[in-house]
Amino acid sequence: MHNKQSKHTLLFIAGGVVLYFLSGAVDELRVYQGASIAVYVIAISSIILLTGYSGQVSLGHGALMAVGAYAAAVARIELNAPIIACFVIAVLAAAIGGALLGAAAARLTGPYLAGATLALAIGLPSLANQFSILGGEQGLLFDVGFPPLSLGEEFTQYKWFFWIAALAALISMWAVKNILGSRYGRTWRAIRGNEVAAALCGINSARSKILAFTISAGIAGLAGAMLSMTIGTVSPSAFPLALSFSLLTGAVLSGITTLGGVMIGAVVLVAIPEIADSVANRLGSSERVTTNLPGFLVSALLIMTVLFVPNGPVEQFRAHKVKKANSKLEKK
Amino acid sequence: MKAMNRRKLISVSAVLAAVSLAVTAVPAQAAEVGVSSTQIKLGMTLPMTGTASLGYNKIPGAAKAYFDYLNANGGINGRKVTLVVKDDRYVPTEAVAKTNELILKDKVMALLAPLGTANVKAVAASVNPGRRGVPVLFVNTGFSGFADSKKYPTTYAVLPSYIMEAKIMGQYIKENFAGKKIGLLYQDDDFGSDALAGFKTAGVNFAVKVPYASGSQSAAAAAGWITKFKAAEADVVILFGVSSATSAMLGVAAQLKYAPQWMLGSVGGDATTIKLTGVPAGVLYNAIGFSPVPATTDMNDDYVKLFSDIYAKAVPGSTFDLNVLLGMNSAFMAAQALKAAGPNPTRKSLLAAIDSKGSTFANSALVPLGYSKTSHVGLTGYWVGKYSPTGDLSPVGGKYVTYTTDSGAGAVVKSTYVRPAMPAKGLPN
Repeated sequence: MHNKQSKHTLLFIAGGVVLYFLSGAVDELRVYQGASIAVYVIAISSIILLTGYSGQVSLGHGALMAVGAYAAAVARIELNAPIIACFVIAVLAAAIGGALLGAAAARLTGPYLAGATLALAIGLPSLANQFSILGGEQGLLFDVGFPPLSLGEEFTQYKWFFWIAALAALISMWAVKNILGSRYGRTWRAIRGNEVAAALCGINSARSKILAFTISAGIAGLAGAMLSMTIGTVSPSAFPLALSFSLLTGAVLSGITTLGGVMIGAVVLVAIPEIADSVANRLGSSERVTTNLPGFLVSALLIMTVLFVPNGPVEQFRAHKVKKANSKLEKK
Repeated sequence: MKAMNRRKLISVSAVLAAVSLAVTAVPAQAAEVGVSSTQIKLGMTLPMTGTASLGYNKIPGAAKAYFDYLNANGGINGRKVTLVVKDDRYVPTEAVAKTNELILKDKVMALLAPLGTANVKAVAASVNPGRRGVPVLFVNTGFSGFADSKKYPTTYAVLPSYIMEAKIMGQYIKENFAGKKIGLLYQDDDFGSDALAGFKTAGVNFAVKVPYASGSQSAAAAAGWITKFKAAEADVVILFGVSSATSAMLGVAAQLKYAPQWMLGSVGGDATTIKLTGVPAGVLYNAIGFSPVPATTDMNDDYVKLFSDIYAKAVPGSTFDLNVLLGMNSAFMAAQALKAAGPNPTRKSLLAAIDSKGSTFANSALVPLGYSKTSHVGLTGYWVGKYSPTGDLSPVGGKYVTYTTDSGAGAVVKSTYVRPAMPAKGLPN
């Protein structure tokens, strides 16, 4: 067990080294997109933890991201907090929000839970209009500052964003991976499998569910702060209902029960609009086609995923391998 | 075995991501980004899909129609002007992503008419066109802050600010409705707080003020608003909100036969958009409205006539409305800025041209432009008109009465500004 964990740690460090060299090799637009992918990786892993492992649905993760983003921006502006402290505050604020939500959510299941979190996604961001400290519709600036001069004058702002976001993504993936492999992860899977059986085994299912919501919300809050870093501002319109939906879409495309595929969903969400753009350009299509193609492609992909690889491509691939290995064993 | 596979898959997906990031083409750098010997490339982001796109999604078609007309007539010193349009769905995250694509991948020379205060602010903070030296021409928002040339060195406002509009409304009320009870419907955010600031400067006292939260406007809400205005016995009701709020209010008022003297802010005052939601045109009759550009139905106006002809040919079957006129007007102003930027325009010479000559650019507006080396204020006022029985805003008695002011404490004055004649064929001179 111990050996496995240190292997994981090594793997994540290796991932960091690859990303480090990658950020130097690609142009500025790709670096920016890389930062967006990292943001989505964090956000989607929070959904996978909540939905895939603890079995609770959330359509309101966009709102939890907003909580983190606003907390970070307010800490930066009002308290002039150092940037790392801002991110920590974002995680804590969203986690508290998640704990409150989780307390309510633990009593709800299925469509009721979906409805409650949906209401949050719709209502929460526009609360910003009610408090002048939150900057209203225009939002607040969130400036993480220029990259340190020691990195050289050629070091762009976007590369700096990418480094921060990629590091945050690696750390949160590593943390999620370990949590899921721990007692808590097993508890959540037990509840997801059969809540009554889990309770009979002595698991306090309400407490476990609230814990899942709290941790998931904290990670979503980090994603929100990262998102607002990449766009330099926090405003209600940056966290629309569509964001919550696309996170869930990304999680389903990744395979909702496997953390390993989280990259797939994140890359798809960032790449699809651009792919659609170049397809439409090559075909010389009308504006109506160009503007609706991304939505169409994502929907088609989502439907195909649900039809053909309901547990996500990674899980499917793994199941296929296991089956093959088993049949080999049988032949022997 | 299981763990091994998982690791493999993680690394495979990481490599895939790396490859997708690395597949990129870096085009050769020209003398100036976005300018070649044959073309000048401009970029635009705005909502083309989603709820906020209603009406605004006509702007790219309108701007393209003008550029096609310009290109057919020789372009800018032989260079054709092309416009790359991206959909930002009115989401700041998308606006930043798409603007990055425009600047870094499509390599546009300048951005034209991006829309929405939060979006333009996010782009300014993240993409930072000011630091990159990328001109952001004629942003489509009434937020007065974008006129600040120190904070946004390459960004130019074009619409008069919400503060200016409220001040001018206040002046009109003093002149025409002294002693009457005034009611105000406003959006409970910065849009509304700018309006309140303007009315305060103008010294308007309200009998009743009704705020609404952005997104809460609906027929049911409108019925509630009307109760409040009725209780306060308001004679004049100002609707200083977005189109959907204006439409909801007027639609319900028509059913309830509630008919005070309406006064519509320009943001929510486009008759075509209001009528599209099913509001009967008759309700608008005699309402007071404000606009910086001529009435879209005024075929005696050279610009309206030319622009509506061009638009009808380019986009048949689409109504020529305020969004179209403003879109074509911005394109026309951009063409003049490019022409004024010299035989081989650069981003720098483009900015310098607007700073030095921008206030004299011919355009359809009936109020002057305020560009200078120290200020990026666009149009500085409105004309006041009334809606006709068919619901079109037109000047009373066919004569445009214009007011100008600023976003500060300056007075509102009846303007004597005479718009220069349209250049021959509506092409930049």
